Amino acid sequence: MILRNILHRPARTLITVIGIAVEVTLVILVVGLTTGLLTESAKRTEGVGADIMVQPPSASIWAAFSGAPMPIRIAGKLKKLNYVQAVAPVLVQFNSVNGLDIVYGIQPDTFSGVSGGFVFHAGHGLEAPDDILVDDVYARAKDVRVGQTLHILGHDFHVAGVVEHGKGARLFVLMSTLQQMSGAIDKASIFFIKCDRSDHTPAAMDEIRQLLPGYEIRPLKDFISLMTSSNLPGLSAFISVMIGIAVAIGFLVVFLSMYTTIIERTREIGVLKSLGASKSYIVEIVLSETMLLCILGSGFGVGLSFLMRWVFVTAFPSMTILILPRWVMFSGMIALAGGLLGASYPAWIASRKDPVEALVYE
Amino acid sequence: MANAIKIILRADDSILCGEIAREPALEPILKTESLWKVYRSGKVDVAALRGVDVRVLPGEFVCIMGPSGCGKSTLLHVIGGLARATRGRVLLDGNDLTAMSDAERTLLRRHKVGFVFQKFNLLPTLDARHNIALAQHIHGNGFDPHRFDVVVDLLGLRQRLHHRPSELSGGEQQRVAIARAIVTEPKILLADEPTGNLDTKSSEGVLSLLRGLNKDLGQTVVMITHNPDAATYGTRVLHMRDGLVVNGSALH
Repeated sequence: MILRNILHRPARTLITVIGIAVEVTLVILVVGLTTGLLTESAKRTEGVGADIMVQPPSASIWAAFSGAPMPIRIAGKLKKLNYVQAVAPVLVQFNSVNGLDIVYGIQPDTFSGVSGGFVFHAGHGLEAPDDILVDDVYARAKDVRVGQTLHILGHDFHVAGVVEHGKGARLFVLMSTLQQMSGAIDKASIFFIKCDRSDHTPAAMDEIRQLLPGYEIRPLKDFISLMTSSNLPGLSAFISVMIGIAVAIGFLVVFLSMYTTIIERTREIGVLKSLGASKSYIVEIVLSETMLLCILGSGFGVGLSFLMRWVFVTAFPSMTILILPRWVMFSGMIALAGGLLGASYPAWIASRKDPVEALVYE
Repeated sequence: MANAIKIILRADDSILCGEIAREPALEPILKTESLWKVYRSGKVDVAALRGVDVRVLPGEFVCIMGPSGCGKSTLLHVIGGLARATRGRVLLDGNDLTAMSDAERTLLRRHKVGFVFQKFNLLPTLDARHNIALAQHIHGNGFDPHRFDVVVDLLGLRQRLHHRPSELSGGEQQRVAIARAIVTEPKILLADEPTGNLDTKSSEGVLSLLRGLNKDLGQTVVMITHNPDAATYGTRVLHMRDGLVVNGSALH
């Protein structure tokens, strides 16, 4: 009877299923996008090849929001420490013109000393003050070639080379140029440190803490594990709000759908009561129909999530969206909870209908 | 009622003593005592039933007639447990409905009452088979294929089981409704104008069915009708007016 009831009004069923699917897709994609962004960013930071990252006191783990308050001469002091093989100061700027990108201002020789150097797909390294290197993902996404002009941070840069992705940022310019542009002369945002041996990293970190008390000293091994939404409180709140909105959507869609359903089926409810159906029987029917709709909607939503991911990644190749199995399950549970909550009031109303009035309802 | 005559004879065949033993009176399956049902309409109280006394014995086919608004349907709803009486008593198979909670009346209705309505009231999403089986499902004992088959064959519905109500004629729909009402073997079948939406031929067919259920299977039937011809199918007629039973007569 449940299935037949749902199929009896195919348009309304479809709209309800789509509404629940949108809810599920929203949760999966929001979490997938934020997790993908964090994971991808962390991977690229790990990919610099350093063992330790030094930032000013209370700096965010998300390098994009780093300022440039550290004097660059700190690099010399760090280089003299035991276990330190190479130090690369980096100036980080966040570009919001023609996209959202992080730009690294680097000293090519020190950066190569830590990272092992770029792998070039085309062109050459940074030579002129207005030279810029782009990674292959950025080049593909924006259709950028060597020799073109890129307008970044309000400045025209000449694309000198296209490099393999995965070394911190997607855009690299000379540190001196970026310092001039940002007015942060002789300043750096981050010091990347390479140890002589990776097992010396803890000891090196201890030495750096003594040299720079209060500074943020982070190992880059397992950096990904640090880049979670819980380490970014604002992000946690954002995800929670989006989940709340998704639940509200599911709740309202199901509430309206089941409310109109029980109004339309008032006489049917009267018939069931005349046959001796109890209140709990009526409630069970309404909630069972809701559960089936939520299951269908969740399945459709998961499929829609994969489709939307393909659409976004095709349109924006630099975007990473991770569809995590546990969030797929969680979004289904959220949809079910929201749906059952939304159907509970209509179910209660249906169970309490007077059978005589229901039987004469037109 | 049949009387049993017992006579003791002396040796010379003269009568020593004799007595007439009466068979014990049948308990009514349905009994109402000073039944009142008052509805509140805005600020006005409307008495649909004003002290109705009715008795229905097992195996009777009682027709209740009267003009519109006389309280026939209200009486049916109260004695069937769909509505609660305002005052008075309703005893159905020995159970006092007026002392029961809504849940208890629902339970009683499930096991002892079958309803047939003027507008058939079949579930449009289910075919005939599932409409009939639904009553068994709600009854709680699950699908009983033997009883199902007996009822379906009795009502001639075998060829129509996989059709939805929209694919059935009025007469067929009402037969499905009757099948649904009797498949759980209720103590009493309450029919509210069962031929009200049917043509003459279909009406005769349905009424004959009800009479057959009563005569051959002993099903107790209480039927509301405003059609004097339909009332002739019963064993007794009660006339109502303004919320009261004004007179009654046995037909058979």
